[in-house]
Amino acid sequence: MRKSTRDEAIWRFLGYTFVLLVTLLMVVPIYWIIVASTLPEQAFLTAGTDIQLLPGSHFFANLEALQARESVDFIQSIGNSVFIAIVYTLLSLVLCSMGGFAFAKYEFTFKEPIFYAILATLTLPIQLLVIPLFLLISQMGLTNSYWAIILPWAANPLGIFLMRQNMKQIPDALLESARIDGATEFQLYYRIALPTMKSSLAALAIVLFLFQWNLFLFPLVVLNQGKYTIPVAINELVGAQRVYYDQIMVAAALSIIPLFLVFLFLQRHFVSGILAGSVKE
Amino acid sequence: MSTSSSNPVRDKLTAVRERAGEAVAPVWQAFIDVVRPVRQRQIRATRSVAARLPFSVSAPYLFLAPFFVLFSSFLAFPILYTVYLSFHTYQGIGNATLLWIDLGPIQFELTRIAQLEYVGIQNYQRLLGDTLFQNALANTTFILLVQVPLMIVLGLALALALNASWMRFKGLFRTTIALPVAANLVAYATVFLLLLQDNGLVNTLFQMLGFPTVPWLSGGTALIPGPLKSVLGTGFWPRISLVGAVTWRWTGYNMIILLAGLQSVPQQLYEAAEIDGASRWEKFRYVTLPQLRPVLLFVVVTSTIGTFRLFSEPLIISEGGASLSATRTLVVYIYNIAFQQFQLGYASAMTVVLVAIVAVLSIVQLRIGGESDA
Repeated sequence: MRKSTRDEAIWRFLGYTFVLLVTLLMVVPIYWIIVASTLPEQAFLTAGTDIQLLPGSHFFANLEALQARESVDFIQSIGNSVFIAIVYTLLSLVLCSMGGFAFAKYEFTFKEPIFYAILATLTLPIQLLVIPLFLLISQMGLTNSYWAIILPWAANPLGIFLMRQNMKQIPDALLESARIDGATEFQLYYRIALPTMKSSLAALAIVLFLFQWNLFLFPLVVLNQGKYTIPVAINELVGAQRVYYDQIMVAAALSIIPLFLVFLFLQRHFVSGILAGSVKE
Repeated sequence: MSTSSSNPVRDKLTAVRERAGEAVAPVWQAFIDVVRPVRQRQIRATRSVAARLPFSVSAPYLFLAPFFVLFSSFLAFPILYTVYLSFHTYQGIGNATLLWIDLGPIQFELTRIAQLEYVGIQNYQRLLGDTLFQNALANTTFILLVQVPLMIVLGLALALALNASWMRFKGLFRTTIALPVAANLVAYATVFLLLLQDNGLVNTLFQMLGFPTVPWLSGGTALIPGPLKSVLGTGFWPRISLVGAVTWRWTGYNMIILLAGLQSVPQQLYEAAEIDGASRWEKFRYVTLPQLRPVLLFVVVTSTIGTFRLFSEPLIISEGGASLSATRTLVVYIYNIAFQQFQLGYASAMTVVLVAIVAVLSIVQLRIGGESDA
């Protein structure tokens, strides 16, 4: 039943060409970020004739120029972003896993309606809650604090949904026998549910971290100088009177490259994070 | 595998732990479960055995309480308040005290969160005549109709190529193509902004290769057909730039999901098709596509919702000099009305309309995509 080999060869050639082309298109901007962050500003201003595709030696000079800016302290914004993302992820993991456990392994009044109410919010573009959230946060006196960004999405509907799905895997017999042995309900959660769910917790952690890392609209609205997260700081640079390419590229490199490295090392976890569950290789 | 110890419970636990790594339902599976007709779900639902055991009635409530408190105050309440707000005009931050509870060490003060004036459906009427809103809606629709199909076709083609048995370096290709997933939204938009400047890298390359340079961020008005000029405003290329940037960021993400879907298609089906003498196209048409339907549906719905959320990229590109009428998406316009002009009531009305549009679109897609479900 073999098709003619020539036909096969053409398909392969087309396939490889296509994949290589796309790969190239994906890599070029990333490569250029690295190169551009090491070039002096003149390199960007000489309109179009010569083109530099090799790294220069101006990285630290550019970084100094960036840090000399009055309006933005970029290094601090990296710290802010990392701190917020980590605290948010941990808090959200606790809330979602506890809630998910309740939905997966218990029966209680109003269980279904509550669950579907939470699920319904999944379909909303959540950034659109920014207006009432802004009023609420202002009223609570939380503007320009880290909590303003950590709290609103800590109760993450996607998170509780995935946790519930995965915790259904835990056999009831296991919980029963633990109960018979005199374990408290909290021990069931802490000693049995959490350890069993390690891999899905890791996947969810990546989803939550990336979600927080990319939040832009709400931080833009509620944060002022000194508390900026990375996206808001970069936006500040773009919107400035005069655009300093070299400084922007250093900022972009510092915010993108670390995550790329993490991605390369934790690629499989990233993928399972994206799929919110693991895929057999 | 551990050899069985004398403790059945521990055995069970190890088995579950080993399984949990792979038995996790992927998100679209869960998604399909939810959109299934309720009756089917009820038939399939089995009451948890654990529920038959006596346990303290308060336990589930206690587990759920922290999530529920935050969910109610930061998600449920704001959703309802947006609707409420859309029938009012905003006149300033609230300061009237509604309730004052004094517990000695702790005091609660419940204040009104905004001063509002009731205006009925005025905001919605104003929306109908707002040309800028029409422009934002047209731009968003353009991206939906051009970018989403482009990205899904690209993602599917890549997934098919990377799933082929003869393809080498699969892992390397997959990782590289998925790299943009890890890019910070604002940072990557900024990088594209700089790449696409009139004297940026892209135009420099074009010059070197002998192509004419393209005004990526400003020009191309002449390319928009006459009747569309009134809603689409100026600028053909900025729109294309935006579509390109968004496609760069998200194609790899969708490829990963589609690839996982392809890998879950049972191999026997292909073997059976092979025996029946199916051509390459027939195999794709009659085996791959039907098997991939739920995953494709998931990707289409999430991409649609994503399009209506677009904010970072258009905002950055327009701040960097691209024509605003070409890159004004709905969320950008809402942001502008709400936080630059402080017309929170009007912005809320637009939000309600936007959510309604997304809901209708999603339902239509689910209906079309799920109708011939076995």
